[in-house]
This record gives sequence, structure tokens and C-alpha cells, in this order.
Amino acid sequence: MNEKTASATSGAMHLMSEANVQSRAPTLWELRQIEAAPKSKSRLAADRAVAALPLVMGVLVIAQYKKAPNAGNAVATDTYAYFIALLASAVLAMLVASFFSKKAYARLLEKAPLYTAGFLLFALYDYATLKTGILPLPYFPWPDRILNGIYEDRALLLDCIKNSLILLFSGYFAGVAAGLATGLSSGLSARVRYWVMPLIQILGPIPSTTWLPIILIVASSLFGGSVFLIALGVWYPVTMSSMTGVLNIPKVNFEVARTLGASRARMLFKVALPAAMPNIFQGLTQGMSVACTALMVAEMMGVESGLGWYINWQRGWAEFAKMYGAVIVICITFTVVNFALKLIKRRVLRWQEERAD
Amino acid sequence: MSGRGGHIEIKNVSKIFARPDLNSTLVALEGVDMEVRPSEFISIVGTSGCGKSTLLRIIAGLEAATFGGVFCDGEPILRANPKRGLVFQENSLFPWLTVRGNIAFGLHATGKYRENAGLADRLISLVGLSEFANSYPHQLSGGMRQRVSLIRALAVSPDVLLLDEPLGALDSFTRMNIQDELLKLWRENGNTMILITHDVDEAIYLSGRIYIMSPRPGRISGEITLPMSYPRNRSSSDFVEVRNRILKKLNFAREEREDYNL
Repeated sequence: MNEKTASATSGAMHLMSEANVQSRAPTLWELRQIEAAPKSKSRLAADRAVAALPLVMGVLVIAQYKKAPNAGNAVATDTYAYFIALLASAVLAMLVASFFSKKAYARLLEKAPLYTAGFLLFALYDYATLKTGILPLPYFPWPDRILNGIYEDRALLLDCIKNSLILLFSGYFAGVAAGLATGLSSGLSARVRYWVMPLIQILGPIPSTTWLPIILIVASSLFGGSVFLIALGVWYPVTMSSMTGVLNIPKVNFEVARTLGASRARMLFKVALPAAMPNIFQGLTQGMSVACTALMVAEMMGVESGLGWYINWQRGWAEFAKMYGAVIVICITFTVVNFALKLIKRRVLRWQEERAD
Repeated sequence: MSGRGGHIEIKNVSKIFARPDLNSTLVALEGVDMEVRPSEFISIVGTSGCGKSTLLRIIAGLEAATFGGVFCDGEPILRANPKRGLVFQENSLFPWLTVRGNIAFGLHATGKYRENAGLADRLISLVGLSEFANSYPHQLSGGMRQRVSLIRALAVSPDVLLLDEPLGALDSFTRMNIQDELLKLWRENGNTMILITHDVDEAIYLSGRIYIMSPRPGRISGEITLPMSYPRNRSSSDFVEVRNRILKKLNFAREEREDYNL
């Protein structure tokens, strides 16, 4: 024990002296290395094995898929094998990189259990469907069928993504614009608040999708109606968050702006708006999830394009594999949209003190 | 930023605050008379709650006097104006703007940005913060933040600079440094300076005249004129004597209030 600790400590000493020679403070990464508890030799070897685990698991998934006999006379293509091979080679690339970079190794080590579990899930699902039929067709298609379904309908799916995004963002931006207008003005003016608050209190608790049957009848175009529906859903959280944001701005900000000669417009756009931004982004994030829900409902109930429509349409044909495929595509699409929103938020709010999360 | 000293006159000003929660009113200032001549540096000292900040906010135009008149260069003060800059005690920088952005704010607001290209950066280097021009306020120390507040107010060339305990939250070393910078800026620009402080030494070190205020209700209870000689020696016998005189007056003010209550 003493010997092991000593060797690990000398490693840390080595790092420290290296930092001393370069006459600078250690970077965050180096500091973590110095502070980390020393690891025993057997623990280091175990770490190596854990790092290799995802790759092993990936290869096992492919082997099971190709070699194990299928239930009944089920046919399966190579698409799934290629898909898993793609994931496995990504893991292989990380493994190779981990021999050259300590950082890459640390990252792989952290994620390895998760990746292994992911491959394991694939293996279990493959076993329960294709290999044994415990989960029967048509309700539980095996992954190969889902992947082939997505690939087959790729042109249609791309078109659906495009139409969904157009509808989503038309409604979202309309709702954000309206929400900012009512929220900021009622935050700044007690008189506006007097008239807007009752409206918010009445309309706010009604889920925007409640209006859909009425909109389907009243709206002159389904697209316009759906934009309105999504916008209404976004309007409420953005109004609330921007109003709260403005009301919580420390008074001193406005007083400083007044003594520096700021006009009313400057006060609104250069003080109230940026100061309320942290709150507003809460509303923007919440509004995006409301918008995605409203989009799906609108597309399933009336609009004749988009991913929601596609799922419903494939249900008519009892194409379960394609319905699952659409769910996956929807998941990826919304994940990308939310990630983009998060990047924008990080950029806009870069002036904030960094938080632990 | 060639500021011209502004002339401030305060005539028999009273300020009464409404206290709706207690269904009562509070007299914050009573019959305050004061005159600050162009390019003068004066201080107002007094204990917390004596109404000195209220008085400064009235001069700035952020509050209206209940009775009496406040004038800047003969014109009644009705609202805030960039002619009268105000430096707050702490955390008054816009957190979403960088140091440079904070200083440029007033230049943009007053339409002086174009004709003063580079002024923001000149001011930043004047207080030794060039390295931090692109930093956000939360990345600065308290002293740095107050330096930025100071030059942000100075950037729009105010005739009068109102300082509301600008150094109150700083450690004593930083405070002394900024006091010297403040003197330098004042002598270069000739703005009229009105400093609120509860630090008697600071008032003596910086100002040509000192008003002493007593609380409840806030009144001027004394005035001391100092000889015009800078820099002042904080440990000279005259300095110490003036300090004792002021402290005595502040104490006297308290005794008088106790008498009043009997």
C-alpha cells in the first residue's frame, strides 16, 4: 500500500515540478491530476478493461445479430449490423485516442459504462424480438426493420422535418414576439399590467391545444390556425417570464440609465431587455417545449404534412416500424432544436456569473 | 471630457416620504439650505439615515423635493440629466455589459459616441484597467468596479458629479488609492463635486468644504471650510484637529436630539 501510494505521489510531484519549471499555475486539468486520489495498480488495470468494454459489447451485439438463429422464418438485412458497426467504430476511435491523450482516456472512462449499457439494451431488444419473438410483431419491430423503414422513406421524412420546422418556428417566433411585447410592456408600466394581467390569468391555465377544435373550424387555413395555436402556447410562458424579469430588475439600473441621459427607447431595449434576459430565457425554453407539443397535436389532428402527420398516416397502414422510425426522427429533431436554443442562451447570457450546473 | 463646473443651489428643501404600510409619513429632510459653487469639491458627512443620500438623489433629479427649490445653474431641477452624473455605492454597473460597454453607454445615450471615439479606452487606461476592458463586472474586484462606475459617470462630461458613498464598501488601501485618483480627475476636469460619506477622514482629505448633517429629521447642523491645499497630509496636526471638530459636531448633534426627545 505504502509503495503504491508513494509511486502515485511521485507522479503528482512530477506534475507539480513540471508546472514549476514552466513557471505558471497548473491548468484546471493538471490541478485535477495533482489533487486526484492515487490509484492502485490493480485499479488502473481495471480502468483499462472498463474502457475497452463498450467496444467488446458492440462486437458482441453484431455477433449475436449475425450468428444467432432468428425466430421462425424472420428475415433481417445487414442495415442494423452496419448501424451497430458505425457506433462500435466510434467507440473504437475513442479507445485509440485514449492511448494518445489522457483527456480522451478520462472522457472515455467516464462514458464507458453508459455506452456499454446502450449496446446491452440493443442486444436485449434484438433478443426479445428478432431472435425469440417474446415481443411479437407487428407491435414490436426489431431495430433492423425500423432502420430500413427510415431509410426507405428518407425523402418523405426529410420533407416532413422541413414542414414541421417551418410550422414550429413560424408559431414559435410569432409567440415569442407577442410574449415579449406584452411581457416587457406590462413589466414596465403598471397601467398596461392592469389590463393585461386579467387576460393572462384567464388564458394562461388553458392548454393551448384546447383551442384546436375551434381553430379547425374558424381558421381560414390550417397552417395559419396551427401557427396561431403554437404561438398562443408560447405567448403565455414568454409573457410571464419577461414580465417577472423586468419587475425583478434592480431599480439602480434604471436610475443609472436616467442619469446617463438614456431615452425611453434606450431604457427598454438596452436596459430592461438585457437585464431581464436570464428570466426571458426560462420562458423561451418552456415555450419551446409547449410549441413542440402543440406542433405534434396540430399535425396529428389536422395539418396534412410534417412528422406528426407522418406517424398518423403510417398508423393507417399499420406500418409500426415506420411509426417507431418517426418517433426517433422527432426525438433527434427536437433534441437538435433544443441544443441550438441552449447554445444561443449560453452566448447571450455569457455575462452571467458561471453556475455550477 | 472637459467638464465645466455646475452651480448648485438648494433653498429650504424638505422631503417627506409617504409610508402607506404604516399609514404615516416620515420627514427625511427639513429646511436644507446649501450652495455649491462651480468647480467646488464639497462633502456631506453624517450618520446613516440622516437623509444625505436623499438629498443627493434630489440634486440628481431622481427624487422630487416636497417643499423648497433645487437649482442647477439657475434652472430648477425637474428630472435626471447627464449634466449631473451620479456614482452609487456599489454594484451599479450593468452586469450584461463589459467594462468598455458600460463606459460607452452614456456616450451612446447622449449621442456623443462618434465625436469621442476612443474616449472610453482612454478613460479605462487612465484608471489602469486596460487589461479588463472586455471583462464583465462580475469578473472584477470591488475596487475595479467602483473605478469603472466613476469613469462611466465622468465619460459624459457632467458639470456636477454626485458621489453617494462611492468608496464605502472598499478596503482602506483601495479606498486611499481611489481617493487620489478622484482628486486627480477633479483637478483635471474642474467638475463640481458633491461627495456623500460617513468617513470623516475621506471628507477632510478630499473636500474644500464640509457640511455636517444630523438625523431625524435630516438637517444641516454645521459647515466647515478648509484651506485650499492639496495633497493633504492625513496625519498632520491640522488634519487631526479638523477631524476632532467634526466628530464633536456629530456627537453634539446626537446630544441635541436626545435633549429634543426629553
